[in-house]
Amino acid sequence: MAEQAPGVRIGGLTVVYKTPAGELPAVRDVSLTLEPGSITGIVGESGSGKSTLALSLLNAVQPPGRIAAGTVEIDGLGDVATFTGEELRKARGKHIGYVFQAAQNSLNPLKTVGKQLLDLGRSHGVEDLHGLVREAKELLGRMGLDGARVLDSHQHELSGGMRQRVGIMLALVLNAHLVVLDEPTTALDMITQANILKIVREVHAERGLTTLVITHDIGVVAEVADRLAVMYGGRLVEQGPTREVLGRPRHPYTKGLISAIPRLVGDIDEARALPGRPPTLATVPKEGCVFRERCALRMDVCDTVDPEAVAHGPRIVACHAVTVKEHA
Amino acid sequence: MITGTGIVKTFKQRGNVLAGREVRALRGVDFAIPKGGAASFIGESGCGKTTLGRIIAGLESYDEGEVVIDGTAMSGLKPKQRQPHFRKIQMIHQDPYSALNPTRTIHQTLFAPLSLRAKQTGRSKSWIEERAAEVLALVGLDPGSVLARYPHQLSGGMRQRVVIARALTVDPEMLVADEAVSMIDVSLRLGILALLKDLRERLGVSVLFITHDVATARYIGDDGELYVIYRGQVIERGAVDTVIADPVHPYTQSLLSAIPVLHGLERPGEEPVVPLSSLDAADDDTGCLFASRCPFRGDRCGERPLLQVTEGFPQEHACFYPERRSVIARPLSEV
Repeated sequence: MAEQAPGVRIGGLTVVYKTPAGELPAVRDVSLTLEPGSITGIVGESGSGKSTLALSLLNAVQPPGRIAAGTVEIDGLGDVATFTGEELRKARGKHIGYVFQAAQNSLNPLKTVGKQLLDLGRSHGVEDLHGLVREAKELLGRMGLDGARVLDSHQHELSGGMRQRVGIMLALVLNAHLVVLDEPTTALDMITQANILKIVREVHAERGLTTLVITHDIGVVAEVADRLAVMYGGRLVEQGPTREVLGRPRHPYTKGLISAIPRLVGDIDEARALPGRPPTLATVPKEGCVFRERCALRMDVCDTVDPEAVAHGPRIVACHAVTVKEHA
Repeated sequence: MITGTGIVKTFKQRGNVLAGREVRALRGVDFAIPKGGAASFIGESGCGKTTLGRIIAGLESYDEGEVVIDGTAMSGLKPKQRQPHFRKIQMIHQDPYSALNPTRTIHQTLFAPLSLRAKQTGRSKSWIEERAAEVLALVGLDPGSVLARYPHQLSGGMRQRVVIARALTVDPEMLVADEAVSMIDVSLRLGILALLKDLRERLGVSVLFITHDVATARYIGDDGELYVIYRGQVIERGAVDTVIADPVHPYTQSLLSAIPVLHGLERPGEEPVVPLSSLDAADDDTGCLFASRCPFRGDRCGERPLLQVTEGFPQEHACFYPERRSVIARPLSEV
C-alpha cells in the first residue's frame, strides 16, 4: 500500500440486521466518496446508521448484521466488503485505523497502555518493537502527553481526554493512512473537545491522512471537516462542502437539524425542535422517503417513492421537493 | 427561595491505594435561587457543579456552610425533619434510560408517588388518576397512549418527559436538571429545554440547570443567573446573557472560546482564549486556582481572588485582572 492518503469509494452500500421481523436495513443504498487527504464528517442522530456505515469500512459489522449489497473500494487495498479472515485482519489496524466510540472504555483495564501497544505490534507482525514504542512516544508527545508516563499507565490513571488521545495513537501507530473516528469527543468537556479536534486536524495534515469523523454533533463536523454528509434513517440525505451545507442547507432534515442548535447570541426562540422523533430500525418506512413523517415539504410522491440522491454541483441531495425546485 | 452560604465539601478517598487523598469538590460556594427564579451552573466535569446540585437537592451532605430553604436552615434539622423541605426540590437526571424502572409501566411509575401524596392529603383514588393524566399532559405527552407503556417502548425524549412528569407529581418548587438533555437526540433536545422553560413560566417552578453546554443555559430565561464554577469555586456569576456576551474571567472566556464555530453560519470571536495547559496539569492549590493555565497571569495571582463586583463590570468575578474580550462566535448575518 502506498504511503499516502487513500481515496475511498462506497457504492450502493446496504447493511441489514436480522431481527424477528426479518432483515431490516440499518444502512440503505449509501454512496459516498472520501477524497484522498480530505476530512469527511458524517452527522446523524441515534439509529441513523452512521456507526454501522463506519464499521463497514473495516468490514466489521457484527452478526446479526451483514453487508447485503454494495462495495467499499479503498485505494491500494481493493473492495474491503469482499475481504475475509486473515486478509481482513491485516487490513485493520495496518491500513485502516479506527478510534472507537467511547475510546475511554475501549482500553484493557488490566494492562498498561504500553503492553497493549506491544500486543498490537505483535499481532501485526511488527519486528522492530522498539521502533514501535518510539513511534508511539513521539505521537503521544505530539498530542501534548508525556509518552513514557502514559505507556506505563493503566487506563484508570488517565483522564478522558488522555484516553481519547491514546485511542488516536493506537489507531495511527501502525502508520495507517485511513482513519475512522467514531464520536471522538462525546463525553468530553468543551475545552478538552476543542483540544482533541485541534489534534485531529493537525495530525491529519502532518501525516497525510484520509479521515472520516462520525458524530451526532454538527459543531464537531463544522470545526474539522471539509465535507459533510447527513444521515437519517439509514439513508444519506445530503452531502457537500461543510461551509456550504451549513450556510445553505437544502434537505429539510438538514435545515431542521441546524435550526435546532441552541445558539450563544440572538433570539433563543428562533431555535426550533424538529417535530416528531427519529425512526428506529423497526419503524423506518419500507418505501418512500424516510423523513416524510417529520417533513414540512411532504408531497404525495414522498409516500411511495424513495427520493434518489441527485447531484447539484458539489452538493448531493436526496429529496423530491428539492429536485422539483431545481427543475422548475 | 433557596440560598447557600460558604458551602464546603471535601471527598476523602477510602479503602484503596488512594486512601487519604482528598478531593476538594467545593471551596466555599454561595448561591441564591429565588422562588420561580432560575440559575445555571456551568463548568468542566469534576468542577463540583453536580455535587453542588446534589447538595441543593438534599442528596449529599456538606462539611461547612449552610443551606436555607424558605427561611429554614437545614443543618440544624434531623434527617426526618429535612425531608418535607427537600421534597420541594426534585432532581432530573442525565440518563432517562436508567432513571425509570424498566419493569414498571408509566402508570405504575406515576402511581407510587401520587398515592403517597393522596394518603397524606386525604384525597381519593380518582384524584390519583386525574393527576397522573394531568402531569403527563403538562409535559406534552398524551396520557391515553403513554400510561400503559413500559419505558423501553418510548424514545429517549419521551422518557425524559416522563421523568419530569414524575418529578411534578409532588408539586415541587424547584427542578434540578443535571445534564438533562445531553443524552437526548439533537433534534429533540430543544423540545425538553423549551418544556422546562415553559413549566417555569406556567407553574412558577424554579429551575436549576447543571450543564457543560453553555448555549443550553440560555434556556432558563434571560432573568436567570449563570454561575461559572472552576475547581470548586464560583469564578464568575451574573445574568445569563451578560456573562455569555461579555465574560470577564479568563476561564469563562476559554470555556466560551472552546465552543465549536459553525463555519458557514458564524465567524469566530476575535480574541479567543486558549488555556496554557490541560486541566490534568492544574493541581496547584495556592493562589488563584486558574493561574497555572491562565495566559493573563499577573503579579497578584499568588493570592486567591474572591468573587466580587468591581467597577465597570455588571457581573461578579474572581479575577484580579478582569477584562472584556470578544470570544464567542457571531452570526455571519450580524455585521
